[in-house]
Amino acid sequence: MTLRTSLALALLAGTALTDPAFAQAAGTITVYTSQPNDQMALVVEAFNKDHPEITVEVFRTGTTELMTKLQAEFAAGSTPADVMLIADAVAMTQLKNDDRLLAYADAPVEGIPAALIDPDMTFFGTKLITTGIVYNTTMVDHAPTSWADLTAPEAAASLIMPSPLYSGAAVIHVGTMVQQPEFGWKYYETLADNGAVAGQGNGTVIEAVARGEKAYGIIIEYMAMNAKAKGSPVEFVFPAEGVSSITQPVAILKDSDNPEAAKVFVDWQLSKAAQEQSVAQGYFPILAGVAQPAGYPPVEALKILPADASVMLSEDQKTKQAFADLFGG
Amino acid sequence: MADTSLPAGRSARPLLSGRGGEHLLVALLALYVLALGLWPLLRLFAEAFGANDAGEPLGLIRDGLAARATGRALGNTVYAAAGSVVVSAVLGVALALAMGMLRLRGRVAMTFLILAPLLIPSQIMALAWIELMGSSSPILGPLGLAPGPGQTNPMYSAGGIIALMGIEHMPLVFLAVRAALAALPEDLVEAARIAGAGRGRILVRVVLPLVAPAAASGAILAFAAAVGNFGVPALLGIPGRFPMLTTLIYQRLNGFGPAVIGQVAVLALLLVALAGAALLLRAVLVRRAVPVDRGGRALQPLELGRWQLPVEAGLWLALMVMAVLPMLALLGTALVPALGVPLTPETLTFDNFTQTLWSNATIRRAFANSAGLSLAAAVISATVALGLGYMAAQRRHGLARRLLWLTDAPFVVPGTVLALAYILVFLPPLPGLGVSIYGTSTILLLAYLARFLPLVLGPATVAMAGTEPALDEAARIVGAGLLARIGRITAPMAAPSLVAGAVLVFLTAFNELTLSALLWSSGVETVGVMVFSLQYEGNSTGAAALSAASVGLVLLLALTLDRLAGRLPPGTLPWRS
Repeated sequence: MTLRTSLALALLAGTALTDPAFAQAAGTITVYTSQPNDQMALVVEAFNKDHPEITVEVFRTGTTELMTKLQAEFAAGSTPADVMLIADAVAMTQLKNDDRLLAYADAPVEGIPAALIDPDMTFFGTKLITTGIVYNTTMVDHAPTSWADLTAPEAAASLIMPSPLYSGAAVIHVGTMVQQPEFGWKYYETLADNGAVAGQGNGTVIEAVARGEKAYGIIIEYMAMNAKAKGSPVEFVFPAEGVSSITQPVAILKDSDNPEAAKVFVDWQLSKAAQEQSVAQGYFPILAGVAQPAGYPPVEALKILPADASVMLSEDQKTKQAFADLFGG
Repeated sequence: MADTSLPAGRSARPLLSGRGGEHLLVALLALYVLALGLWPLLRLFAEAFGANDAGEPLGLIRDGLAARATGRALGNTVYAAAGSVVVSAVLGVALALAMGMLRLRGRVAMTFLILAPLLIPSQIMALAWIELMGSSSPILGPLGLAPGPGQTNPMYSAGGIIALMGIEHMPLVFLAVRAALAALPEDLVEAARIAGAGRGRILVRVVLPLVAPAAASGAILAFAAAVGNFGVPALLGIPGRFPMLTTLIYQRLNGFGPAVIGQVAVLALLLVALAGAALLLRAVLVRRAVPVDRGGRALQPLELGRWQLPVEAGLWLALMVMAVLPMLALLGTALVPALGVPLTPETLTFDNFTQTLWSNATIRRAFANSAGLSLAAAVISATVALGLGYMAAQRRHGLARRLLWLTDAPFVVPGTVLALAYILVFLPPLPGLGVSIYGTSTILLLAYLARFLPLVLGPATVAMAGTEPALDEAARIVGAGLLARIGRITAPMAAPSLVAGAVLVFLTAFNELTLSALLWSSGVETVGVMVFSLQYEGNSTGAAALSAASVGLVLLLALTLDRLAGRLPPGTLPWRS
């Protein structure tokens, strides 16, 4: 070790000791997330390049299960979770209404559209994830272009979709579709009558379509795009009527025993570095000035189906029940 | 002057000596068995018998039984378990007869393959068969036998579940029939032969009736195991829309949380009733079995003559299909870059292995957690088995002998039921301590300890009951304390069976899924849970890689043990008996 580097280290150590904020933002945080395991491994790796002093533990499962787990832990007295990074704002709003989220007024939100930020600064969208149509290229001759195409008997008979009983994205997607006057529950009834089935999460959808067990699937775009990039015989379509979208919000739990480190993680999630990594993982960015992944339309060109989030929240249980009645639990 | 009347004489004796020490030891063991196994289970059943939301007594049971989902899951469970028993019994009896009565080459290797389902956890078996039978099968695809595009994997059905659980539990029948055959005296066969009976007649009229009780008892065990199986219905039945009791409990609990624990306790009660009825039937059967004179020369293997080659080829073919091809298919999927890509020399990649095993910190931690938890479970269980076995089998302590029975409870109830009981009892903060062990590795360890103790306790008590008590008596007379006697005399004698039992605990716990799926949490992932969740997030190639690696590890351990076979007592390794 040269004299200069040891001096620099000594200075750094000195800063660390004298600056209380720096000293606190270390240690371990636990992130509860619905983002796939392999992606989270890369996220943690990139985060640790910038913040080696913070150890991140990841607990990954579907949003709906994650919420159940969290409720159980609250009942047990406390949860190890510090940060939630889950698919949809509906679940986040539930947590917020239960007074489980920490308000983080100083979060670095410049450049992020206001629609993606909770007005009370308890949760913040990190990316844009849209739900559209995937199909198997070896099985389908005429690519579908719209949601309506899926109701055709031969398409619906070979269609699989994620279930809101597992997936947060599916909660929003079904919630959005049933609010559209041209679709409503009628749309799902037609699909069910014509033989469409529901899997569990989006993972089961890409699984069935990539293997060629089903020709069509309703799925979040990056899973289809990533499978296609790795060589699976699939193609993704942004339907003409528009897509539903989720924002994968991040939030800090009030219960957190390390809110300072959790804030560092949230800061990083909203930073350009994290946004660029999200793009590399196949997500639409939310930060102005970051380009969308190759092969994706620009964010401005996306047609997003309108949806009332408060209705979705109040109808949440009803929606899940109605879906389960049509497609099974 | 009577020495014993002097208090000073007593206090000079080492701690835990005399009857007082033994009583203390048994009291501790009783506390262990009751707190870990019995208390949580009893609490769960009490919950099931409770009132419903409307406050009606026994309301939960009435509501639960009236629900359509319950009836369907119950019917499916009985149907699939009964179907799988037919498969287990046919395969198990046929293979046991072949291995036990015929002179075959490569018998140890064959027996190892027959017993492979015992070492390979059911969720990995299910994954392997999904890969083997699916439309992108790396084995059937090139042969043109894979299901065509648009066809759902045939494994996602009641038939798939029945076939797979049948294979999975076949070793239970196989081992029972093998043991009965080994005890069958040659004299009986000889007598039949002298009386002019041909081979077929001897098999049907002499051998089969004599092994039938063993086959039935093995088949009933297989039924109980099938009722409680979680891995197969979870991976085949959930996508196949074939709900069974274990998966319904899992889905309810994951979808609605501990608030519905009363409702799922009713489902658990149904599971226990099914398994309990089966085991009761088995006890009656065992009691009523006609004793055969076990003396005399053991059965001599039959020479096959010109049938040698065809029979051996047929057996190998069957074993390849049952045990080897699915594993190759799993490996094949682990080696392709993405689903739907055929496996060719150009597409072959080790990325799935490096990504899941190397660069993913969560999976690395899962390996460490599983290794640590299984090791702790193995060591602690062996220690408890030593103490309890000593008191019950050597000292024939009344309460200790009753405890032996009670330790079986958490083992014979389906794992899902035990996990549920643990959530119920250990979710609220522990009385006195104010902290909850829910969400920590402690709850997993305790559940493993409760469930897997019989795996080591069984062989240990058998070994100890067979040892000469004179040594222990002598040591007692010269004044050796209780711990010294256990440590210096009983432990060395029982060591081989304790070690073998501990290894069995380790191997079983390492890939455990049923308990872990309900009790795991952040930081305490296990290998079984990771395989399951990788599969569910659509990363089948990663799940296949992780499964292949963990099966490889378990096989490596088993083969290492096999190398030590010469130093272990006969019967320690099931495939060598």
